[in-house]
Amino acid sequence: MNTPDSKLDERLKALFGGLDAGPEFEARLMARLQAESQTDGKERAMRARRQENERHARALSNLMSWRHSMLRLLTLDTLGIGLLLVVAVVMAWPYLNPQLMGGLRQYGLDVVAMVGVLLAAVPLWMNRARVG
Amino acid sequence: MELVRAERRHEAITLIVGEFRRKVFGLAYSFLRNREAAQDVAQDVFIKVWRALPGFDGRASLSTWIYTITRNTSLSALRAKRPQSSLSDPDVMAAVDASDAAPSGDTVVDGVLLQRLVDQLPTKQRQVIMLFYMEEQSHEEVATMLAMPVGTVKTLLHRARARLSAAAVK
Repeated sequence: MNTPDSKLDERLKALFGGLDAGPEFEARLMARLQAESQTDGKERAMRARRQENERHARALSNLMSWRHSMLRLLTLDTLGIGLLLVVAVVMAWPYLNPQLMGGLRQYGLDVVAMVGVLLAAVPLWMNRARVG
Repeated sequence: MELVRAERRHEAITLIVGEFRRKVFGLAYSFLRNREAAQDVAQDVFIKVWRALPGFDGRASLSTWIYTITRNTSLSALRAKRPQSSLSDPDVMAAVDASDAAPSGDTVVDGVLLQRLVDQLPTKQRQVIMLFYMEEQSHEEVATMLAMPVGTVKTLLHRARARLSAAAVK
């Protein structure tokens, strides 16, 4: 025998039991997911490219700063070496062989000029070699 | 989860949609009371699930996680657009008009009138009734779907059925 409660149960089941999304729901969803997955792939590739560019720029900047510091160091070294050479020549001057002194008198200016040019040119040459 | 870990997200979502389509749609419908809006929300829910699957750590169960997304998406949709009564659905409106014109028996409540009575229930009672009878859900499942204790679901269900019975015999 059907009680009013069981009748209500049946009617509620009939009313809500068949509740479901439309037949085209899954096809529409899969199309959206397909589009989403393509966008996702493109976005991932763009993000990877951007990260790679940033990494490259950072590495380049580190390298440049290293070059600058090395160049500064080299310039100071070169100045120090030049100064030491001058001091060494001045101190050794009285003990030098007269023959050598004659040669130095003849070519001394040329030698000093050559050494000066070399000392000045080394940092410039190093810098060009690194940048190139 | 194994499929997600194995980078087979598409297969995973296909399984999830098969398993949860009706439940997600039903839960969204219980909030929105409009078929098209509920379908749109269900679509958005599965897209969100698909996007978030790689980050799903399995701390909560999959169903709890999906129902939470569904509730939040439904509430956002409700906020974006004022709730529409199912009686404003063109199909339901036509059926209600037809039933108003037709003579009805003393205790016979046809589907459309019952739908109208359900619509008049307080929101929580209406949701519990809909979800419970949608797929002969267990109290536990409805409680998980609506994030409320099982005892509350039983109470709401009892009250709703009592109200419907009383209204039906009037």
